[in-house]
Amino acid sequence: MEKMKLKLLYSDLRPELEMIEKELEQAVDSESLLLNDASLHLLQAGGKRIRPVFVLLAGKFGDYNIDVMKQVAVPLELIHMASLVHDDVIDDSEIRRGRPTVKAQWNNSVAMYTGDFILARALERITEITAPRVHEILSKTLIEVCRGEIIQIQDKYKLDQNLRDYFRRIKRKTALLISSSCELGALVSGTDEKTAAHLRRFGYFIGMSFQIIDDILDFTSTDEELGKPAGSDFIQGNITLPILCARKDPEIYQLLKANLNKELSDHERLEIVGIIRNSSGIEEAKAMSERYLQKALRELSFLPKGPGVKTMRKIAFFIGKRNF
Amino acid sequence: MKGHQIQSKIISMEIEVLDAVRQRTLDQFTEGPSVKESRLFFLLLPFFSGKTWSAEIESSAKTVSIVYAALHAHDQVREDNPISKEQQLTVLAGDLYSGIYYQMLVNSKNIAMVQKLATAIIQVSERKTSFFEGMDRSIAEVEEAITIIETELLISFYKFYGYTEYESLAKQALLYIRYADELERLQSKNYSNFLRELTSNLNHKNYVEHWLVEKLDNLHEKIVKSIDECSLDYELAQFLLHQITPHQHRAEQLTREG
Repeated sequence: MEKMKLKLLYSDLRPELEMIEKELEQAVDSESLLLNDASLHLLQAGGKRIRPVFVLLAGKFGDYNIDVMKQVAVPLELIHMASLVHDDVIDDSEIRRGRPTVKAQWNNSVAMYTGDFILARALERITEITAPRVHEILSKTLIEVCRGEIIQIQDKYKLDQNLRDYFRRIKRKTALLISSSCELGALVSGTDEKTAAHLRRFGYFIGMSFQIIDDILDFTSTDEELGKPAGSDFIQGNITLPILCARKDPEIYQLLKANLNKELSDHERLEIVGIIRNSSGIEEAKAMSERYLQKALRELSFLPKGPGVKTMRKIAFFIGKRNF
Repeated sequence: MKGHQIQSKIISMEIEVLDAVRQRTLDQFTEGPSVKESRLFFLLLPFFSGKTWSAEIESSAKTVSIVYAALHAHDQVREDNPISKEQQLTVLAGDLYSGIYYQMLVNSKNIAMVQKLATAIIQVSERKTSFFEGMDRSIAEVEEAITIIETELLISFYKFYGYTEYESLAKQALLYIRYADELERLQSKNYSNFLRELTSNLNHKNYVEHWLVEKLDNLHEKIVKSIDECSLDYELAQFLLHQITPHQHRAEQLTREG
């Protein structure tokens, strides 16, 4: 249902997104049957395609040419896909979006090589664009995303970390790639620098809001809605904003501490999920996400009025209220 | 160029590569980047031979070495070691090195080389995955896959800068080193995917050993011939034969045979 709503929001971009979907399929085409299967398996699991959407929408503020825009939109989605397939190895995840992960369907090695293959395809494609600034932004983003993930592993199972650690992590893990999607879309369509900067900041704030909502949903959704066990973040030792807010309650703090880094039964897992869900942590995290959303909307107010702003605003509101 | 000068250049290149990818957490929890002397030797071979060389080419050679390290890190990911910190960081090490090679080439405004290396990585990933496809392949096909895995990155570098005269020699030598490693693995019963496929093709472990030894002998002969064809100077040729591809397996085999 929610995915349907998102598709409706994208309806203005439907022909372009269909073209990008086809390009994604072509991009992962390989001589190796196994790599083909693994990449298509990943592609067909779907996804919100938020990065390509923001590339295209940002492009609407400049000289919009879909043939140029897709040269950025496709690689950015491929980079995201490559990181997902490696993340599943890192987290030892069996299921993503309700389907077996590549590592579960085949094995860790196949997942590693699939990720390497997809990332290389992304770079092979984006190097069709010669503008140095595009590559400066993208290469810096790739490095920062990895650093964010390294920090996430360092911070695992640390219940006493502060909020700044969390925001630093999600900035690198999620917000930067969305921010870069907006900035690169603006750049390749030739917008002025001021517009590109507003779009970059919009992407950053919306990315922060998006990740906080994702972290909330890990506690407020069911296993079926998530397509993976609820509370996966906690099980994997990732201390997210709802936990950081909820831990202020000494009883919850003790419960979390006692169960962190412990093999939990389904019953125990769901009990912890229920306690966080009913704690003030969820509302506080939602308020934080809302603040980022407002900041994102403020950036939009500086942009020239038009259909691009309208769709971006709708998507921003949707992200703030989404429940999948 | 004297042997100690060659060695010294390789070491200083190794240090520069390690410095470029250094990251505190990765240094602490992973085995660190693999920068093989043999690959550095072949990346620097045109320089050692007195060919046109520049800071840009040397920086490019470093990035090839970083790509090898990135792909090697991902080769270390195991099936039976699911969520150890070391394994998780090894995955990220490979990804980080990929970002670094890209950024280094971007900083030297060498986008065309990024494209060449990306194409080579695609080829290598396809061949590495082929060992999990469970298809019936001929030995020639298996050999072709191994050759691409070991040499495609280096050959891309040679082609990009016009050093193709070293292509055959590098292919033979890097393949030689891989087969020597595989022979060692076979003898210590530490079977790789390549050895498993070779065994199923040749039907018996003894045949695999024989096949590898024969390959090594054959490649060694070719290497000696290629050294002549490339007109490597005496010191460089000696360094290659004694430091990079020493013909040890033959001596070991003769010792074993009494």
